[in-house]
Order: sequence, then structure tokens, then C-alpha cells
Amino acid sequence: MKNTWLIIMREWGERVRKKSFIITTLLMPLFMIGMMVAPTLMMLYSKGEEKQIVVLDRSGQNIAERLMPTAEAQFVLDEQMSKTEACRIYNEESGIFGILYIGSDVEQRDSVQLITNSSSSMMLEENIASQISAIIEHDKLASYNIENIEAILAEVKTNIELSTFLNDGTGVEESMEVTSSSINYILGLVLGMILYMVIILYGQMVLTSVVEEKASRVVDVLVTSCTPLQIMMGKILGIALVAMTQIAIWALLVIAASKFLLPSLFSAEVVATNDIMLQSLMGTLGNTGYVATLFLYLLLFIIGGFLLYASLYAAAGSAVDSVMDGQQFNSVIMMPIILSIIAMMSVFNDPNSPLAFWTSMIPLTSPIVMIARIPCGIALWEIIVSLVLLYATFIFTTWAAAKIYRVGIFMHGKRPSWRDLWVWFRMK
Amino acid sequence: MTDSILTIEHVSKSYTGHKALNDVSLEVPRGAVYGLLGPNGAGKTTLIRIINRITIADEGRVLLDGKPLTAEDVYHIGYMPEERGLYKKMRVGEQALFFARLKGLERREAERRLKGWFERLGIADWWGRNVEDLSKGMAQKVQFIATVVHEPKLLIFDEPFSGFDPINANMLKEEILGLRERGATIIFSTHNMASVEEICDHITLINKSQNILSGSVEEIRRRAGGNIFEVVYSADDSTLHAATNDLATLLSESQGVVGGYRRVKMHVKEDDKLREVIARLNEQCALRSLNEVMPSMNDIFIRAVNGTL
Repeated sequence: MKNTWLIIMREWGERVRKKSFIITTLLMPLFMIGMMVAPTLMMLYSKGEEKQIVVLDRSGQNIAERLMPTAEAQFVLDEQMSKTEACRIYNEESGIFGILYIGSDVEQRDSVQLITNSSSSMMLEENIASQISAIIEHDKLASYNIENIEAILAEVKTNIELSTFLNDGTGVEESMEVTSSSINYILGLVLGMILYMVIILYGQMVLTSVVEEKASRVVDVLVTSCTPLQIMMGKILGIALVAMTQIAIWALLVIAASKFLLPSLFSAEVVATNDIMLQSLMGTLGNTGYVATLFLYLLLFIIGGFLLYASLYAAAGSAVDSVMDGQQFNSVIMMPIILSIIAMMSVFNDPNSPLAFWTSMIPLTSPIVMIARIPCGIALWEIIVSLVLLYATFIFTTWAAAKIYRVGIFMHGKRPSWRDLWVWFRMK
Repeated sequence: MTDSILTIEHVSKSYTGHKALNDVSLEVPRGAVYGLLGPNGAGKTTLIRIINRITIADEGRVLLDGKPLTAEDVYHIGYMPEERGLYKKMRVGEQALFFARLKGLERREAERRLKGWFERLGIADWWGRNVEDLSKGMAQKVQFIATVVHEPKLLIFDEPFSGFDPINANMLKEEILGLRERGATIIFSTHNMASVEEICDHITLINKSQNILSGSVEEIRRRAGGNIFEVVYSADDSTLHAATNDLATLLSESQGVVGGYRRVKMHVKEDDKLREVIARLNEQCALRSLNEVMPSMNDIFIRAVNGTL
């Protein structure tokens, strides 16, 4: 026990003191926030150069004159030129982005064409299509000669906001939890991704570290004072502790933000805006108890999932002489992880679909899928059954991995086949 | 009966389709420098791993101080494997401390002893450095200290001199002999006979998974002594082989010497055959000289492996 503890502390101490650990731990949250904010900022501040689009209007309805410039493009009218001629003149060298050709019968297929010199954006295409549609609709409505048509249209326009609650059986609306499917999905996705990253990053770290210890022959020295099981568990738990240290720091940052930062933002700015999505996001993240519970589940599934995969990675690492050789086994270990990610996507369509349910019970996929389902409100028994299965499987895989590990660390030379692993496993 | 610190009784070990040790027994006297010899792949490392409880014997038992080995006994054994390694990214002092504490030393005691050893081997300045900055010789010193710092009563060195430069090898030898002075028993595993001759007082020779020769170096020398001759002659190899084939074993490759002659060492199996050998050599191989020599451990090794001792 004491020796396992010494190994755990060595693994942990060596990694936590690394500069790379400190940097990633502190920069990751900034990076995540950056990822969320960057696209908006980019839209706001970097419009890029304005695109010029030459409009050839053959509709006779003065559509071109009524086109409004978009965020990225301006429209320039050209009355005279034929389409062929325009294509020749307004080529790539001309500096013109493209030609918008509006045919005589706008509603005919192929009648409205955008011919560009470089690829256009989806936003621009949608903008042009909707502007022209609106203009045509407007003209059609006007042709009915209804009085006050503008006022009527403004009056008719309606926008419904749907508030969603989780029924707690009391019938008191105020006590019910405000829910939002989209927020749940996003939360589930983020949690699932965190788990995926931890399993992959730290799992691979176990593999690399086992291979290094074997290749540098340190393990030959270690086995004189510790059993192979102690060495393997010390390594796995030590790296698990590193992962947990990192997550704990992140959790503290998020909980602190939920407790102190969000309330002040929430009251002032957010209520003023009418964005229901933003409001419920703030509501969810501002609920400190809920955030803490989520982190508890996250921790439980990360520990279980990581230990399960780490034992597989350790066995793979013990069997090979170089990280490169480890790829053969690594790719097989990756398969259920990739499968989890695919299954996780199905959770967003229906968190209670049979696929989501079963993949969140089967231990190899359960950590990632289950953690993604939890924000959607899953029965507690499902979470408990999933956890029990996960931890039971972890004990089994660790036992099996230890049997391979104890033989593997002394085997040098030829890369072992699956059959060799089976032989090692069955050795006394 | 002598006082044995380590007794191996009828130990056998098989790996899939391969017998690594076959009914090996031996006794290591307390205070000895004990050579465990044998060609590569003979089973030495397996035996050492069994002594260190890294692997378990299929049959037989291992006694330390007359009692079967327990998990606690690893604290009384120091083992320096042939392939040795240190964590590259760790500081030297911390690393030595880590290994010492794994061997059951308390942090403070470990630190005190390690500092003493570092002073002694002249690497005290290296305490706070990274292992990857050490030269190979320095790293080996650290490794040696980590092996002996818990003052084990039984020390096992697997090919200790391989990879050491002559100065460090000499230092290592002095330190090992010093440890024996202070009461430790030392087991060497090696196929380098020269080092055995210099410092071992007892040996066991393992070949093809079996113990084929055991005893004190003196006694073995005495037993193997005699009937080894250095012959200088002039003939080609096949003539020599034909002439000596049934009467003597060649112990070395024949080598050319000055004057166009060749020289070879041979062991004549029976005393009364010597005259016949001389007669044949004289007749067929233009014998120039024939001198009796004392057998080196290397000769004994070869003869034991060939079954002609």
C-alpha cells in the first residue's frame, strides 16, 4: 500500500509541476471562452473587404434598385450589358466579386443566378434569395390594392416564446425547474466532450508513460521493490489524480463564476435583452447547486471511465517497446470511444431513445453517453445502474490488464500479436 | 555445514514451451562474493527474478536465512538489473529518494544516507540536477547508490560492469568489496569470466537451465587443474583436429604466432594419454613446444559447458 502511494505521488508530483500542466490548466478555460466568443467578435469587427456585386436586372420590376446592401456585399446596377458580356468583363481581375442576374420571370427556375469569381457564402446567398422573395411578395400584396397594407402587415406579425418547465408535481409554477432543451443539449455536449478529452488525453498518457518506463528499464528497477500490480495501479491512479486536479481547478473556476460573476450579469444586462436562450443559459449556470451536482456526476463518470480505459491502455503499453507499436492496440481501444461520440449525437435527438439508453448502460460507451444524457433529466436509477456496471467492469479490466502487464513489461523485441496477449493472460 | 544466507532448493520454472530453469539447487555462503555464471539465455536472469520475487518458481523453494522468502524480504535484498534506468525528467536527489523509500526507508533516514553516499562518490553537486543532464557514468553511480542505500544483507548485481568505463568499474569493484567488508553477501551474474576471477570466491555455473558446476573458486580450480597444455605446432587446423580428436579437447581457437607456428590450448582427458598426444603431435603437426598451464575460469567454463570437466 505504502509503495503504491509512493508511486502515485511520484506520478502526480512529476506531472503537476510541469509547466505544460500549469499552462493548459489555466489557459483551457480561456480557450473555451474564446472559442465561444471568437466567432461573434469576428463577425462584429472583421467584416473583411466589401464585395461588389454587379446586378443585371431583366425583370422589369426594379428589383435591383430595391436591394439593400448586406453586411458583406454591395450591389451595383448595370443596365446595359448582356450576361455573356458581363461575365467576360467582370472576371477575376476586375476586382468585382460576382454578377447577380435577375431574369424576366423571377419565379421561373434558373431565372435568378449568382455568378461569382470566387466561392460565395451561404449567408450571402440566403440574404439575396430572401431579399428578392420579400420584394416580390411585397409587390404581389401591393397589387391587391388593399388599404393600409403596411400597417396590417406590421399588426399581423407574431412572435411566440415558449417557456419550458419540469413538472415537480406541486402545481406551483414558481417551484418548478425552468428547463431548456437547447441548453441541456449544449451542456450535455460540453460534458461529453470533456469526458472524451480526459479519456483520450490521459488514457494516452498512461500508454506513453508505461512504454517509457518499460523502454528506459526503470520498471526493471521498480519490480524489485513493488509488485507489477502496484506499479500499474500507482501509475493509473497517479495520472487519474492529475486529471482530477485539473478538473477540480476548472470546477472551482466555473462554480465561482456561477456564484459571483453570473448573478451580477444576470440581473442587469440579461433581463434587459429578450433573448430567452441567453436567459435560460444564465439561469442554468447561475444555479450553483445544479452546477455542483453536474460536476459530481462528471467526476464519478470520469473516474470510472478513465480507470476502465487506463487499464486497457496500461496493458497495451506494457506489451510494446515503443509508442509507435502501441498504435496497433490504441486504434482498437479508440473504437468504442468513437462509438460513444456517435451515440452521444443521438442523445440530442431523443435522450430516451433505445440507442441512447443502451449505450449509456454498456460500460465501454456509458461514461460519455450517460454524462451527455444527465442534463436532460435522467432517472436516478439509470445513473446508478450505469455507474455500478462501469465500476464493476473497471475492476474486471484492471484484473485482466494486470495479468498482461506483469508479463508484458519484461518482454522486449518482437511486437506481440493478440494471440501472445492471450497466452500471457493465461500464464500462471 | 556452512552458514548459508540464501538456499535454492530444486527450483524449476517453465515459460510456454520453454524450460528456463530445471531443478536448480545452490547455496550462497554468508559473506561470499558469489558468481552466477552462464552463457546468455542459460536461465540466470530467471533465477535472479525468482530470488527477487519478481516471478514465482513452478517448483522448489528459496530460503533466505533458512526461511522461505516473504514479501518483506525485498527490503533485505538490493538488486541492480543489467538493464538499468532512471526517470529522465526527474531530479537526481528526488529520484534516489523515491527508490530508497520504496525500499522501506523513512524519508529523513533515506535523505541522510543518500547525502552520505553522494558525498562519498563525489556527486553531491548533482542532487538538484535533472537526470537527463547526467553523463552515463554519473547515472550509473546514482543507480548503484539506489541499489545499496537500504543496506541490504544480500546484494545482487546483474552484469554490473557492463557499460561502466574502467575508472567507474574500478570504483564499483572497490565499493562492492567494501560492502562485503561491512557484512553484505554479494551475488554477481555475469558471462564475463575476467571479473569473476578477480573478485568472486564462489561460483555456480548455469547452462541450459541446469546447475552444472558449483563450489568455491579455489576448489573448482584445483579440481579442474592439470592436464591443460599450451601447444605450439605447425600444421593446419584439420590435421590438428584429426591428431587430437579422441584424446584431447581444444580450449581455444588456434592462433598464428611468430615464426609461422600456431598455438592452441588443449585439455588432455586422461594422464596416461599425454604421451600418445605428444607422439601424435610430434609426428603429424611438427610439435614445437608443449607447456602445462593453470586453467582460467574461462577454460573451466568452456569445459563445463562441453561436459569435459
